[in-house]
Amino acid sequence: MGSAHSLPAEMRALADKTGFTSDQIEHLHRRFKQLSNDKPTLRKEHFDSVPDLEFNPIRCKIVQAFFDRRNLRQEEDGLADEINFEDFLTIMSYFRPIEPDMDEEQLQRFRTNKLKFLFHMYDSDHDGIITLQEYRKVVEELLSGNPHLEKGAARSIADGAMLEAASICVGQMVGPNQVYEGITFDDFLKIWRGIDIETKMHVRFLNMEPIAHCC
Amino acid sequence: MALDKEGSETEQGPPAALRVPPGPSVRPGGFCRAGAAWRGVGERGSWQCSLSLQKGAACVAVLLQTPALCSRGWEMVSQPAQLPSEPGPPTGAAFCRLPWGKRGSAGRAGPDPIFHLSRKVTSVVPESCLLILLGLGLGGIVLAVAKKAEYQLEPNMFFLFLLPPIVLDSGYFMPSRLFFDNIGSILTYAVVGTLWNSFATGMALWGLHQAGLMDPGVKAELMDFLLFGSLISAVDPVAVLAVFEEVHVNETLFIIVFGESLLNDAVTVVLYKVFNSFVELGPAHIHAMDYVKGVVSFFLVSLGGTAVGLLFAFLLALITRFTKRVRIIEPLFVFLLAYVAYLAAEMVSLSSILAVTFCGICCKKYVEANISQKSRTTVKYTMKTLASSSETIIFMFLGISAVDTSKWAWDTTLVLGTLLFILLFRAVGVVLQTYVLNHFRLIPLDRIDQVVMSYGGLRGAVAFALVILLDGAKVKAKDYFVATTIVVVFFTVIVQGLTIKPLVTWLKVKRSDHHKPTLNEELHEHAFDHILAAVEDIVGHHGYHYWRDKWEQFDKKYLSQLLMRKSAYRLRDEIWDVYYKLNIRASWLEGTRGGPLALPSMPSRTSMSESSVTNLLRESGSGACLDLQVIDTVRSRRDKEDAVMHHVLRGSLYKPRRRYKASYSRHFISPDKQERQDKEVFRQNMKRRLETFKSTKHNVCSSKSKARLKEKGRKKSAAPFSNHPLQYLAAAPVLVMVSSDEEESNSSETEREDDEGIVFIARATDEVLQGKKTPGSLDVCPSPCIIPPSPTLAEKELPWKGDQADLAVYVSSETTKIVPVDMQKAWNQSISSLESIASPPGIETGAQHKRFTCPVLEEQPQSASQAMPEQSSCFQFPSHVSKSSRSHSDSSPDGIEQQELQPLMAAEEPSRVVSSAEPRWLIQFNRASHL
Repeated sequence: MGSAHSLPAEMRALADKTGFTSDQIEHLHRRFKQLSNDKPTLRKEHFDSVPDLEFNPIRCKIVQAFFDRRNLRQEEDGLADEINFEDFLTIMSYFRPIEPDMDEEQLQRFRTNKLKFLFHMYDSDHDGIITLQEYRKVVEELLSGNPHLEKGAARSIADGAMLEAASICVGQMVGPNQVYEGITFDDFLKIWRGIDIETKMHVRFLNMEPIAHCC
Repeated sequence: MALDKEGSETEQGPPAALRVPPGPSVRPGGFCRAGAAWRGVGERGSWQCSLSLQKGAACVAVLLQTPALCSRGWEMVSQPAQLPSEPGPPTGAAFCRLPWGKRGSAGRAGPDPIFHLSRKVTSVVPESCLLILLGLGLGGIVLAVAKKAEYQLEPNMFFLFLLPPIVLDSGYFMPSRLFFDNIGSILTYAVVGTLWNSFATGMALWGLHQAGLMDPGVKAELMDFLLFGSLISAVDPVAVLAVFEEVHVNETLFIIVFGESLLNDAVTVVLYKVFNSFVELGPAHIHAMDYVKGVVSFFLVSLGGTAVGLLFAFLLALITRFTKRVRIIEPLFVFLLAYVAYLAAEMVSLSSILAVTFCGICCKKYVEANISQKSRTTVKYTMKTLASSSETIIFMFLGISAVDTSKWAWDTTLVLGTLLFILLFRAVGVVLQTYVLNHFRLIPLDRIDQVVMSYGGLRGAVAFALVILLDGAKVKAKDYFVATTIVVVFFTVIVQGLTIKPLVTWLKVKRSDHHKPTLNEELHEHAFDHILAAVEDIVGHHGYHYWRDKWEQFDKKYLSQLLMRKSAYRLRDEIWDVYYKLNIRASWLEGTRGGPLALPSMPSRTSMSESSVTNLLRESGSGACLDLQVIDTVRSRRDKEDAVMHHVLRGSLYKPRRRYKASYSRHFISPDKQERQDKEVFRQNMKRRLETFKSTKHNVCSSKSKARLKEKGRKKSAAPFSNHPLQYLAAAPVLVMVSSDEEESNSSETEREDDEGIVFIARATDEVLQGKKTPGSLDVCPSPCIIPPSPTLAEKELPWKGDQADLAVYVSSETTKIVPVDMQKAWNQSISSLESIASPPGIETGAQHKRFTCPVLEEQPQSASQAMPEQSSCFQFPSHVSKSSRSHSDSSPDGIEQQELQPLMAAEEPSRVVSSAEPRWLIQFNRASHL
């Protein structure tokens, strides 16, 4: 799309890395500037200024995901304090739709990446396992939008989901010494087997002009 | 009367999560077996019969997976004389069709009973084809006998009576999420596609006519051809449904084709009317303004129809909010208002199909939340039945009408030309539109999808009815059009319908995968929506997710509050719903299949389920001879299985409350116990599951083999049964005890009696007793005699009342019987005659106390020692929830419910549990004597 333009080398590099077109990168860059008040990096506070986000029940988790170093494809662990535009793009690239010309392997990797992102969102203590506590936390946040369901309900749902996950992933809990500690990434993949995440987890990045300017 | 009523009302909504594979060949494992346990003499072969029965007589009891199954099951079973003639209602449950999302697999309740007898035929040939052929045959016979075609598909009948149910059904069970996700594409195909098709077809045919290729008898102008094009080009919802329902293409593809066929109605209606009036006016009198009017009327008709639908959806939701006291007419409102919407739109010449479709789509959420479970079931089945009846009638009549040659006027060019053009232009239209749409769709429709879409453009009864409606005086070529329409309809339904399945297979179209929605999936998808909305916020792009999010907020804040009952609104949450349904389902699975929390292994479970209940009944014959020991002196393997089965049932079945009220009212039915039962079962079950889970986590749950070993090894050993996988069985009696305790303090004696569950008695006989008992037990029913107010032998002997640890003994070495409650009178009498042999009551009660404390006492040290404290505390949640949520909804008039539910939390309070053992004895006794 944007290949006709003479791209700055930097942008080309970004485009190669994240798979966005230069148009999209421009849009996103504009938005990034907007969010960060023209600073080179984004901090957590900046997300507070996003309207509509405050109604989101799991906004913490989502914002946190932006600062999660695991999602930024960096080797180290933990949370970053601030992210630059490249990181921002990297996060956004998890939400790219599939390209029509992808082959099987690419699709698979695409899917796994998306799921990894989600998994990291659940696995807040970065130990590679979604424990019951972590799960409960997420479910509680999810349900926090409904004031009529108490925490107990969220807990029971999380418990139920965990039980179910255990039965999906381990099969029957037979052996006397068997303990299901939590959902590992492999289990996570199993759980998601039924959902075409690659056809769902995407956001349209084109056609952003009308709003990118107005908000 | 009351009983009969009960029987015919047994349609209970299944947990919607439940999914049923398309045919008997794919057995829904758990449920069928559950059904098998109850279905008595039902054989596999009778499934199909029961299916057709179910459809023909809509209300043939379909016992569903709701907890009521056990109660109904027992009611059935306790009437031995009836049993053999019952085809096994629970089996029918396996076929209960599911809401829409599964339409692909389950659709409606077997569109056509006739052909379901042969799976092989219907797996290849769509039923719509068969029906048309059957109609042709019937019409042929009628024609041969009466010399003229007697029956016709009357357009009025079609539009007023046959079409609305189908449209309502498809609207109501439309997966709204999927529909609105693809609304853009659907609208494009429906509007642009239909316009293109009709104009292109009309023009092309006119071209053929101008070129002189047609018979000169076809007297038609451009307008006539455009009129014909407009009616022949619309994809027909009935035909599409009938065919696609059996070709399980993926959801997106299906919704696009089907949505298009529904929404193109507006275009068709407008085009048809406009051209019709043009034809009637004659080309000379048409002014430019008329064309403008035509365009305007399109918007008017479509938007107006939609508005009418929305208005009635709103009304309907609002009305159902206030029908709590008149539950019995709730379903009526749904049908009535939807139909009124249809008529209203029809009356003012708006698109009635759009009205009903949107009425169905939009009201569903609120209506479902407001009406009772029974009404929900009624609505669902009535709707499905009506729809499939209409569909059957329509296709049959299409066949029958076609033999009426007096209306035919054949012109080969016209027929072939039309066939060619509709196929060609449909394909061209689809390809062009998809090309454009793919620029906007995030998930592009690939070539294979396009092929299926263009090939799936079936024409059907709507076209036929419209062509019949034409005025022969004004439209000179009507007869030709009729013949052509019939051929086109037949061709698309039969030829395309036949070949689309192989085509889909051959093209390897992505099929819809059938799986039950799991709780995890639901959770993740939910989280997912939020994530996507958030990302759109962050990116600053107000896209689809953004608006969906906004809409949901609006809905939550205003609409739901306005349109939903307070109690319903409070508990309304998708995740919670799924959780709830899964739990209900799990309570069924648990008893039948080695589900997630498998039961201890049982010897030959299937054969047992076949044998236990039926044989018992067969042997006992009628209710007259009730002492089963007379008959059953041989300790067979089956008896052991019976015992095991009994314990399984005892543990995992809900005890229904007995409510025989000999009252009849047309507008009021006895209070809804279903929901209460659901809730109760749900909590019980969740608790049980969590307990098992906990013990699993603590490494104490023994494996199957281990359990078996133990069974052998510990005769009479008082091993702590928390080790036993049957552990949860211990919990159930406790719960029940307390429930009677509660009731005692709160209600009168008679009520208590009413609410006492049916107790299944498994009688363990032993040799000594056997000999002495036989004579006494034979004298049936002496007068309701005085029974000594002491716990009877039965209670001592019966394993379900006794020590859990002794269970193994009973199971392995003793003969056990299950006695339905109706036989209990005689049973208790015979027991009472043995009173003297039994151990002194005092001791017995004492022992009982000890036993009841057992579960609680055993558990605590275990959890304390083995569990991480936080976890054990976490897992006590269900009781918290039940408590808090109960108290939360205190305001609503289900106070009684609460009393009954409360006991479920009581496991927390050991002392109460222990003390509660006593009252139950009394109750037990009281009931026996009362009877």
